[in-house]
Amino acid sequence: MCLAIPMQIESVDGFMARCQAKGIYRDVSLFMMQDEPPQIGDYVMVHVGYAIQKVSEADARTAWELFDQILEETGGTGCAS
Amino acid sequence: MIDARAWLDKIRALDIGRPLRIMNVCGGHERSITQAGLRGALPANIELIPGPGCPVCVCPEEDIYQAIQLALKEQVILVAYGDMLRVPVNVPKSEPRSLDQAKAAGADVRPIASPTEAKQIALQHPEKKVVFFAAGFETTTAPTAALLAEGVPDNLTILLSGRLTWPAVAMLLDSDTPGFDALVAPGHVSTVMGPEEWQFVVERHNIPAAVAGFAPESLLAAFYSVLRQLKSGERFLDNCYPEVVQAGGNPTAQRMMRQTLDVVDANWRGIGIIPKSGYALKPAYAAHDARLVFPDHNGADSNQPGRKRAGQMPPGCDCARVVLGKIYPNQCRLFGTGCTPRHPIGPCMVSDEGACRIWWAGGVREQAEASATE
Repeated sequence: MCLAIPMQIESVDGFMARCQAKGIYRDVSLFMMQDEPPQIGDYVMVHVGYAIQKVSEADARTAWELFDQILEETGGTGCAS
Repeated sequence: MIDARAWLDKIRALDIGRPLRIMNVCGGHERSITQAGLRGALPANIELIPGPGCPVCVCPEEDIYQAIQLALKEQVILVAYGDMLRVPVNVPKSEPRSLDQAKAAGADVRPIASPTEAKQIALQHPEKKVVFFAAGFETTTAPTAALLAEGVPDNLTILLSGRLTWPAVAMLLDSDTPGFDALVAPGHVSTVMGPEEWQFVVERHNIPAAVAGFAPESLLAAFYSVLRQLKSGERFLDNCYPEVVQAGGNPTAQRMMRQTLDVVDANWRGIGIIPKSGYALKPAYAAHDARLVFPDHNGADSNQPGRKRAGQMPPGCDCARVVLGKIYPNQCRLFGTGCTPRHPIGPCMVSDEGACRIWWAGGVREQAEASATE
């Protein structure tokens, strides 16, 4: 349940951001990022629909590779939550 | 970046002969360890112990019972993270034993992936009462605090079963038999709360600790850090997930948690009350506290008909000892026989973060003799 996935911010409307990770899109709340508001193009760690921390593009890509491996091994359900 | 093989070489080169136990307190860590086969790759004298890292596993049975009763008897829309839906409670076989079974019996139970979905559902159904059954550790409780801080619809209440991770570790360390020599601290709990929360492990108990991420390289770096500390005698809290975990954590999230929630003594299923280990809504949010709005369905009273085993683990289930790292999952009497992912009995076999489920998914099928960690 504590899994967080890096996503890239594509657009922002108030505290909600449209984010994508490897072609998958989600609406993500930026409400917990008010002390360090991310910008369009930034990467954020997303947990249960909320951004909890900014990360670099390189670190986001490394994490995506790891999730690809997990998904391969779990048959695609491992990162659902 | 040092790759996994190089970290393993560095660990082997430390050449520590005596048996050492490293505990993790995060289901995500345990999943990475098991899937990457790290247990088998480390020298045989190093044991990796899955500890209290599964919020679903320690969620009080009476809270799940209460959620089921609200769904069945109050005609609410009950929303919860998917992991919670299959956890069985102790009721007669004729009654729904889980939220999934309550749904099959006609209750409106919906899995959600985010607190924002709970809000959307409440806004879409202003004529209905919506209850968000929110179990989780700090990482998952912070978004619930944010939801409250941002403002929630009048028809949305929260049945909060939030827990803090570190008090369970403190309880183990304060006991006569902690069962571990070093700690790998959880990466995303530390992202939100700050790595400093784990400083007490080093300072008060002289136990090495390192925050780790979820890639095998980060976990191996943390294992190397604590093993090197055990060998050299120096002690410090290491951060092996610096790309995400920053000093102080997420100040906005912590502010929202302080604004909306109190830290209270809390019950851990099968374990008991751990002081200052749970979250409760502050009185200012009483109108959104399902425990206050629906006081009639508290499942803790074992004198109620059919509730003789209120609060307990199912008969024969060793989940509580698995959660505390006292036994390995396959040392449970039910592992793989009475209890499997298809027909789970204990919460550790239900949740994706439960050690039993993770070991089963990792290919462990046979029971082991009960002995190792106790």
